[in-house]
Amino acid sequence: MKKLLVLIMALALVLGLAACGEKEEVVETFELALITDVGTIDDKSFNQSAWEGLEAYAKDAGLTYKYYQPTEKSDDAYLAAIALAVEGGAKFVVCPGSLFEVSVGQAQTLYPDVKFVMLDVTLAEIQPNLLTVLFADQESGYAAGYAAVKGGYTKLGFMGGMAVPAVMRYGYGFVAGADAAAKELGIDVEMKYHYTGTFSESPEILTLAGAWYADGTEVIFSCGGGIVTSILAAADAAEKDVIGVDTDQSGLSDRVVTSAVKHLSSTVYAAAEAYHKGAWEGGYCKQVTAANGAGTGLPMASTKIEGFTQEMYDALYAELIAGTIAIPVDTDYASAADIPVTNTTLTVVE
Amino acid sequence: METFYYLVQQMMFFTVPLLIVALGGMFSERSGIVNVALEGIMIFGAFCSVLFLNFTQDFISGQFQLLLALLVAAASGALISLLHAYASVNMRANQVISGTAINLLAPAFAIYTARIIFGVQQIGFVNTFRIAKVPILGDIPFIGPMFFQKCYITTYLGFIILAISYVVLYKTRFGLRLRACGEHPQAADSVGINVYKMRYAGTIISGILGGIGGLVFIVPVTTQFNASVAGYGFLALAVLIFGNWKPIPILWAALFFGMMKTLSAAYSGIPFLLNLGIPNVVFKVIPYIATLVVLAFTSKNSAAPRAEGVPYDKGQR
Repeated sequence: MKKLLVLIMALALVLGLAACGEKEEVVETFELALITDVGTIDDKSFNQSAWEGLEAYAKDAGLTYKYYQPTEKSDDAYLAAIALAVEGGAKFVVCPGSLFEVSVGQAQTLYPDVKFVMLDVTLAEIQPNLLTVLFADQESGYAAGYAAVKGGYTKLGFMGGMAVPAVMRYGYGFVAGADAAAKELGIDVEMKYHYTGTFSESPEILTLAGAWYADGTEVIFSCGGGIVTSILAAADAAEKDVIGVDTDQSGLSDRVVTSAVKHLSSTVYAAAEAYHKGAWEGGYCKQVTAANGAGTGLPMASTKIEGFTQEMYDALYAELIAGTIAIPVDTDYASAADIPVTNTTLTVVE
Repeated sequence: METFYYLVQQMMFFTVPLLIVALGGMFSERSGIVNVALEGIMIFGAFCSVLFLNFTQDFISGQFQLLLALLVAAASGALISLLHAYASVNMRANQVISGTAINLLAPAFAIYTARIIFGVQQIGFVNTFRIAKVPILGDIPFIGPMFFQKCYITTYLGFIILAISYVVLYKTRFGLRLRACGEHPQAADSVGINVYKMRYAGTIISGILGGIGGLVFIVPVTTQFNASVAGYGFLALAVLIFGNWKPIPILWAALFFGMMKTLSAAYSGIPFLLNLGIPNVVFKVIPYIATLVVLAFTSKNSAAPRAEGVPYDKGQR
């Protein structure tokens, strides 16, 4: 009996190796590639929407596509993932997230024939094969904070993933927007502000969000990929509300009252199209703002903040487009605690 | 007061899975099998039962579904623990290696299978299991809001398992034999106890409780399973050692760990603790430092089963 087992195992091994050997002759290549940031391809926000843009174009144009996940959060691992993608035949690589700053900086000169798109961060020197995209996240954050306070929330919370530029822009905008609305209404609001240190869900975040809700917080702006799952679970238990981020997250739960969005997937789609149709333009930093093609804002169709109307949103958006509101960004202040506020009691939790 | 009640409710979500899994580990180790596979068993149990929740949520919901899922978790935990038992008892393999193998296998298996079925590694489920308020008991002042509001039946299950474990281990013939196999299997064998059977039993019980613990951990804290139980299996091992392989001390250890976990996560929502200005990291490390200190002071009279980790060989005298 034992001998028979061993025989079967040995046969399976040999056949398995043989199968591998055959495969190597037909090497599959993937022309479009995406390297995920910390967090996964199905984080329901940042990576996912960038991926959806790439996937959509690849399907429309009939191109091969694949994503790669770095083994760890380090510049070496990111560069290794890019190298893997290029070896896999990638000609167009999307790198979502500011943590790619160093690795893409090297990759753009290492692989001059490969087109790179980097989201959320830019470099001092941009080669012609690299396009960097910066979103005016602070505008979406501002709109979300403004809408929340206008809609009657007076105790707000902000939970960011990590203190990376995009998250900080969302957060600073949220603080400024809430304060502006409070000033207009002549009321005082309270806000807790915290970076969780991760873009994945964890029981600790659930506990923290629950403690904030128990302490009176009415709505939390969940700004960091997968952490929304934990915050939503706490919101369900406490019967309080959540503001989503990056994409319209209202589909996740009825507790999501609105989302601070930026048009990631359409941006990636457009870049992929430009690459494929030979209309590639690189070597510069593209700014996506409210004024520049309505790339930021709130999805009003799914927004459920009573007291915040379409008219209010339109008025706000007109101001954002006109650029008459000065919204603080990540480079203005080192910490959210330094943002000047008049009607907001801001508690920054380290 | 609202915050205090919340903290106690939350503490139960951390404490109960630790308690259940550590008790499972206790059965295995008291029978003489080191079980570092608790993490892997939890993941596997949680994976199978969350998959069950996902597949059945269209036709059933509520406590009945949860009870069925607990059965699935127990069965799947028992199944994977058989691997450990076979390697440790029949093959006389190094029990730490076999446990580590399961810890590596379980999350990889969960991710692989979930991606085949759903395309993504997260498995979502609808949480219909929270009890807003237990009738009558929930109205008791003070105790009601602490233990009988916004709770889960799994919390009570944890304490029932504790009571049963205590009785089984100390008041039954089976328990006595199990403990004998962990202390001196040759002596047990000499009076006609089948050591192999007892060790299989101990390991399977740890698999059952480990699997249940995995689901109990996942249900209150999230709405999707992401092939991880956040290291709670290893924490349960620490609880087991901290609790000196005895049921009641294990309860205190689990409560202590649960409390510190809750405080470290929630302290910024507690005005009193926030105003103290103690860095977050202090709360996070306290349970681990406490474990080190306690182990350092008690290692001489540690109650670890003497034959733990030693494969039983009938021929050896």
